[in-house]
Amino acid sequence: MLAPSLFGLAAFLVLPILVVLWLSFQSWDLLSPITPVGGANYADVLSDPTFYNSLAVTLFFVVIVIPVQTALGMIAASLLTRGLPGSLFFRTIYILPWVCAPLALGIVWRWILAPSDGLLNDLIGSRIEWLADPALALPSVAAVVVWSNVGYITLFFMAGLLNIPQHILDAASIDGAGPIATFFRIKLPLLRPTTFFVLVTSIISVFQLFDQIYALTGGGPFVVTDAGTYGRTDVVASRIYSEAFATFDLGRAAVMAVVLLVLLVVLTIGQQLYFGKRTTYDLS
Amino acid sequence: MAQRFLSFAAVIAASALALTGCAAGDAEDEKTTVSFRLWDSTVASAYEESFAAFEKENPDIDVKVNIVGWGDYWTKLRTDVAGKTMDDLFWVNNSYFGAYADSGNLVNIDSALGKDAREGWQDSVVDQFTRDDTLWGVPQLYDAGVAVYYNKDLIEAAGVTPEALADLSWSPDPAADTYLPVAKSLTRDSAGVPATDPAFNGTAAQYGTNIAYDTQAITLPFIGSNGGVYQIGDSFAFSDPKTVEAFQYLVSAINTAKVAPSAADTNTNSDFSRDAFLQGKMAMFQSGLYNLKNVADGAQFDWGVAPMPKGPAGRVTVTNGVVVAGNAASDKQDAIAEVLTWLGSEEGNSYLGKTGAAVPAVESAQADYFDYWEGKGVSVDPFFDVVEGAPPIPAPTGANYGKGFEAFDPIFQEIFKGTLDPKVGLKQAEDAANAAISG
Repeated sequence: MLAPSLFGLAAFLVLPILVVLWLSFQSWDLLSPITPVGGANYADVLSDPTFYNSLAVTLFFVVIVIPVQTALGMIAASLLTRGLPGSLFFRTIYILPWVCAPLALGIVWRWILAPSDGLLNDLIGSRIEWLADPALALPSVAAVVVWSNVGYITLFFMAGLLNIPQHILDAASIDGAGPIATFFRIKLPLLRPTTFFVLVTSIISVFQLFDQIYALTGGGPFVVTDAGTYGRTDVVASRIYSEAFATFDLGRAAVMAVVLLVLLVVLTIGQQLYFGKRTTYDLS
Repeated sequence: MAQRFLSFAAVIAASALALTGCAAGDAEDEKTTVSFRLWDSTVASAYEESFAAFEKENPDIDVKVNIVGWGDYWTKLRTDVAGKTMDDLFWVNNSYFGAYADSGNLVNIDSALGKDAREGWQDSVVDQFTRDDTLWGVPQLYDAGVAVYYNKDLIEAAGVTPEALADLSWSPDPAADTYLPVAKSLTRDSAGVPATDPAFNGTAAQYGTNIAYDTQAITLPFIGSNGGVYQIGDSFAFSDPKTVEAFQYLVSAINTAKVAPSAADTNTNSDFSRDAFLQGKMAMFQSGLYNLKNVADGAQFDWGVAPMPKGPAGRVTVTNGVVVAGNAASDKQDAIAEVLTWLGSEEGNSYLGKTGAAVPAVESAQADYFDYWEGKGVSVDPFFDVVEGAPPIPAPTGANYGKGFEAFDPIFQEIFKGTLDPKVGLKQAEDAANAAISG
């Protein structure tokens, strides 16, 4: 009875990966016939400074976005599981950005962050080029990404927190643990499986960040040097898109996709090893 | 995506019908549906009327119009050609058709319609789309030249007459430049102080002009009217000293004189200036006939059209045409030839002019266009006089133009923002773009 789901897995997951692997050894502009070029695409991409720029930009996003959204998600979850009035309302509000299409949200945020007549600049009463200033573009986009992801992460931490048996918390409080000690000594360790899941999925999703970049900056602003033009928000996925669908160099795009895949696999195995060594408490 | 899913669903539904023997009558089967793709929704409604007339005469052919927005047009075209899901007929422009002609994806018009077919078509458009002595599309519309739409209320408030506007000239030499001083007097901050006044706070709430990174309406005409070049053959020649001068003038008008919206506003939003003009927040809006209907429908104020400013080398515009190309991979070549013949005929092409949407490229159909705008009290002469006055600067072209564009586009964005010196940046842009088209 596995056959039907295996078919889906093969057709929509394994097959495309194999095709991309094969394409990474070909030259193709979508018009001319596909011609094999051996490892030329790899040599080309791996010596291209703009690709390393994209890797660095992606890493910056991970470093900014992951800690902030995980911490905010955890704080929001702690507040929402306390049974305070209005919790249900805020639960719904937090999840809304995650329910909406990222591209549409990106366009709305572009209006909000627009230099002239943008909502944010009108509110603060000064003209700041949030998306065009080389120093501000990356943090601005990162803030939008965090904003869209926090609700989703909160949801998982809430589930994790509600799963912690009340008797453990009661025991801690009888032993004299205050709320801070309870959080760091009891709740955080018990949340480890949730944290692992949240980190793995959100790191992967930030590595694949594309929609918001496409809608907000298109990879810019740009730093122009004699060696190449570097986009300050030109993450790997956005570079892959440009190579494939703006300059129509499918071979180079495929190489970048393969490199991204390898990176993500290595990263995920690393996380697995790290969390695997830590104790996981069985709460059943 | 939804469209593809629908067509997929339609195929499934159709085959289910066939299998169960419930296929519709023979007459229905013989009807051929030909699909037609373009990027302009204003012109699309004119085409709908044209095809309604065509279908009356040709009941066996059904033409379906699909609009794909400009932002995605060239990406979708390429992927749909590769995926064999391309429409049977589609618009192409001068900058992008080369790659498709060279790879054999376009119907050869000379053999499909005969060499004589080109007789009645606008010569400049026929020439633009002839590659290796072969014509690759049926001319549809002709862009004529660039001119300046102006807001009468705003220029009057600044004491500028339409006659004075018609007489402006720009020059890299400030002593000979009458354009920038007028643009400054038309620029106001939020307190209404003009940019000519030392009390001007530096942030325009009303813009004098729409100088920006806009290749067709601004960059090329300014380069041309300074005697500069954009391309030599297919390769890019941005480092030409006259081209550099033109860029320096434009960049300083935006960032120093502040008579135009900032590049941060216009680089990633090509409609910014048009919207500002329509909202009554911009005095001079240099553009083409492609915005005439937008302006006529959208402007809630008195407006007029003046010639573009004269440069050191005179008034030099760019002129462009659009053709409809046939998909060589389609299996409906007979129907495609019939629709192409219709679109290249006086009657078929005339709907574009009758609705005022665009200048028909079939010359005998152009009178309808002039009649339409004359009836509205609008003189379109400035758009045509400029083309006749001096030879236009050639429109961007080349089999690999798209690749070159991707290389220089980010650099041009930074030049216009003022973060990159025009002279240095243009050399880098030229090198990067030429490397991209040769690679």
